[in-house]
Amino acid sequence: MNNTSSFQRKKRSFPFLGVYGALVYIYLYFPLLVVFVYSLNSSRSTMKFEEVTFDWYAKLFQNKELLTSLLHSIQVSGLAVLFAMVVGTLGALFLNRVDFRGKGLFRTLAMLPIILPGIIVGLSLLIFFLNLKLQLSMWTVIFGHMSFTTPVVMFQVLARLARLSRNLENAAMDLGANPLQAFIYVTFPMIKRAVIGGALLAFTMSFDEIIITYFLTSTYNTLPIYLYGMLRFGLSPEVYAISTVVLGFSILLIILMARYTGSGEEKITMS
Amino acid sequence: MNVRETEIQLFHLTKRFGDFIAVNNVNIEIHHGEFFSLLGPSGCGKTTTLRMIAGLEEPSDGQIFLAGEDVTYKPAYLRNVNTVFQDYALFPHMTVEENIYFPLKMKKINRSRAQPMIEEALTLVNMTGFGKRLPQKLSGGQRQRIALARSLVNRPRALLLDEPLGALDFKLRIAMQKVLKDIQKNVDITFIYVTHDQTEAITMSDRICVMREGIIHQIATPDEIYNSPASPFVASFIGDMNFLDGQVIDQQGDTIITNVEGYQITSSRLMGTFSVGDSVVTCVRPEKICLVKVCGNEFMNKFENHFQSSIHRIVFRGNDYEITLIFGQSEIRLIESASDFNDKKIGEQLFIGFRKEDVTTYLKECKKVCDYETNLN
Amino acid sequence: MKPTSTDNLKPKWRGFSSTHSKIRIGVPIIAWLFLLIIIPICIMLVTSFYVKVGSVVIKKISLANYLEFFRNSIYLPIFFRTLLLALMVSLTSILLGYPLAYLVSRKVKRFRNQLYMLVIVPLWVSYLVRIVAWRTILGRVGVLNTILLSIKIIDKPLSIFIYSPFAVYVALIYIALPFVFISIFNSLEKIPENLLDASSDLGANSINTFRYVILPLSMPGVISGFTLAFVIALGDYIIPQQLGGLNGMMFGNLIVTQFGYAYNWPLGAALGFIMFTVAVIILLISQKFGSSEGFLE
Repeated sequence: MNNTSSFQRKKRSFPFLGVYGALVYIYLYFPLLVVFVYSLNSSRSTMKFEEVTFDWYAKLFQNKELLTSLLHSIQVSGLAVLFAMVVGTLGALFLNRVDFRGKGLFRTLAMLPIILPGIIVGLSLLIFFLNLKLQLSMWTVIFGHMSFTTPVVMFQVLARLARLSRNLENAAMDLGANPLQAFIYVTFPMIKRAVIGGALLAFTMSFDEIIITYFLTSTYNTLPIYLYGMLRFGLSPEVYAISTVVLGFSILLIILMARYTGSGEEKITMS
Repeated sequence: MNVRETEIQLFHLTKRFGDFIAVNNVNIEIHHGEFFSLLGPSGCGKTTTLRMIAGLEEPSDGQIFLAGEDVTYKPAYLRNVNTVFQDYALFPHMTVEENIYFPLKMKKINRSRAQPMIEEALTLVNMTGFGKRLPQKLSGGQRQRIALARSLVNRPRALLLDEPLGALDFKLRIAMQKVLKDIQKNVDITFIYVTHDQTEAITMSDRICVMREGIIHQIATPDEIYNSPASPFVASFIGDMNFLDGQVIDQQGDTIITNVEGYQITSSRLMGTFSVGDSVVTCVRPEKICLVKVCGNEFMNKFENHFQSSIHRIVFRGNDYEITLIFGQSEIRLIESASDFNDKKIGEQLFIGFRKEDVTTYLKECKKVCDYETNLN
Repeated sequence: MKPTSTDNLKPKWRGFSSTHSKIRIGVPIIAWLFLLIIIPICIMLVTSFYVKVGSVVIKKISLANYLEFFRNSIYLPIFFRTLLLALMVSLTSILLGYPLAYLVSRKVKRFRNQLYMLVIVPLWVSYLVRIVAWRTILGRVGVLNTILLSIKIIDKPLSIFIYSPFAVYVALIYIALPFVFISIFNSLEKIPENLLDASSDLGANSINTFRYVILPLSMPGVISGFTLAFVIALGDYIIPQQLGGLNGMMFGNLIVTQFGYAYNWPLGAALGFIMFTVAVIILLISQKFGSSEGFLE
């Protein structure tokens, strides 16, 4: 019998793997640290650091354009995600229940908005909307966001449904629930987490989205668009301040997401 | 209540999945209060049949009647039958009480009125006090009982059980078999029980329906199924059986004589009409064969079929011995209790005997499917 | 009791398995698929066959735009440059990401979840913020220069970092790395522990186990990660615009200008369709050889 147990295997690890790992983590976080640090710099120059100040943050609250774009971002992402929750959940139910030829193709097509470069999605929608004589506005932006928020929610819910025993809905109907009741009382409570988890994920993606938005807007600004516009004029402490705020918000969302979808997921795979 | 009152009828029930016929022209009549089992190997169509009765599967053809009413196109939630699923299907996001309350809730019975009914159901399955627990916190046997309680609380006319004991270990299964039988008698509900375990079916059922590849081979009481299997398949599926090929050499009334491996076997249990020269399958159960060292007159009179043979293999099974003897080019097996064994050895020459009533003969090409008439009795 | 003969017309089955009700559920998603994906892409294709002459778009089918792609002296080179850069970004991401995934998946006991999350976090940090960061670091008056100056490696700030393909390369890797990590990590996680025990039991040391068991079995994740990184690098135009300068211009920029200054939509659609085709080919390869689950955990 071979003496090398898995336990021992792990101990004989390459020590420089750990060092390498640390380096990669530094690579990943150093840029973020830089942004944060510079947002506190009272000097406009990036070569020197004067004193720590929160002035730039304070200025943000007086920036009307910024606040408006923030509001717009929330509107766009909120509506796009709401749409995604409804249509995506229905789509997941559809794919989970109905068998048809070309299901694989359907799934691939549905994933395209997430996987394809934003340029393709953006330009194809732009041409389409203008052919329909639609004005570029908040609504065209929302439609554009709907293209990728929907599959995000749909695939999360679909994955959850796949792990659910079919018999649960059958049992509900067997016991007297009609299809709608079976959905409300049995299926939905069990996919709720996936719907919300998917929605949070989709919201994060939508809030940060710039390329598709850029194609589909004329004067309507979302936060990324505003920030992008500011970048054209070069870097400035305001940019760093906004960036740090967005950074903090993203991290908050991730923590929320992890809490909600990760832990607390009861062992649904029971029989 | 008329015991023979018909509860469930299936007429020419058929289910096709594309080209595959899962259930093929099945005709069954089940009486009220009966413990009726659908028995067969995996894929024989028994579960599909059950699901069609429940309303969870749409028939391709045929009709289903519940208590005289045609429910063929009625969806599951409008039928007065409930199912106990193989994986129990307890709702994980509801407590035990809420699970049991569910069917009552669908009938619009408010919670306070329902509470005593829930308690009664829990008492029936001996799970009082478990009301506030979550299903995940229960053991397999406990979940099974809650699933049962949930299906019974509504007092359906019939309970459909899809291999409910499959996931339990042996001892627990035996215990639960008793529980199920007791409950069935107490509550006076028709049970339709799907299983692939023939011992389970034989011990629990009033009648058994043996299925294979979507076709019914026999519907009868356990005794009849065991002693008069209607087809070689049923004979092989239930209990152990010796199968020997042969040819009819003589036929006298209700007895035939068959040439098997050079020996002449007399059989009086005939499944079919035979003429001289027919190819047949001769069957005799191992426990019906008697083994002696010396072949006296009494032995020969008692057993029309008696032969000399030598032992080929001996297998000790704890309770008894399975002894295989050479029979021409073939083999024949018998069971001898441990107390009678007395140190027999391989190669020993002995005599075996069995009565003609214990020999069942089938036509070789027997694809026996039960007649419509013989089953509706 | 024999039944009366069944009706000739079967009534509609009202069970849940009714095809009618199931299809009704599918209507919204099918409509979405057509309106936001299928039709726009078809229209993009059709538009790519139109030609812009002067300021008018002639709506007659022609391959002029595609021919232009092949004949123009800058389009094709930029296209290949983009492909090459995407290839390098993907390869580097794999090379960087694999050891990291291996580390967190197989070599770390405590803090495993935290370390995993730490790689994921940058993924959800705003894309633009990350670009801002790299501009700051690589810029003429940026962090890198500042550090190099202060430790006296150089005496004048270098401008080679920023506005070059190198900057684009570094920033793209920064974006792609977490995706690659997730993909490889997931495929490593799926390898059953008993396979490694068996390998060890049959006489393979760590290196051989890695080479013959772990590496092949993690290949689907590697391929998925590769294609993910490739498509990200292929289609990005903001990073080249912000960090690439003239030499860092990529195919995406070409497309975008057709919708901006150059204002030649049919050409833009054609170029877009070319990029779309490349992306689809890569994705099909990934579907065939990569891991089946997406990265949407």
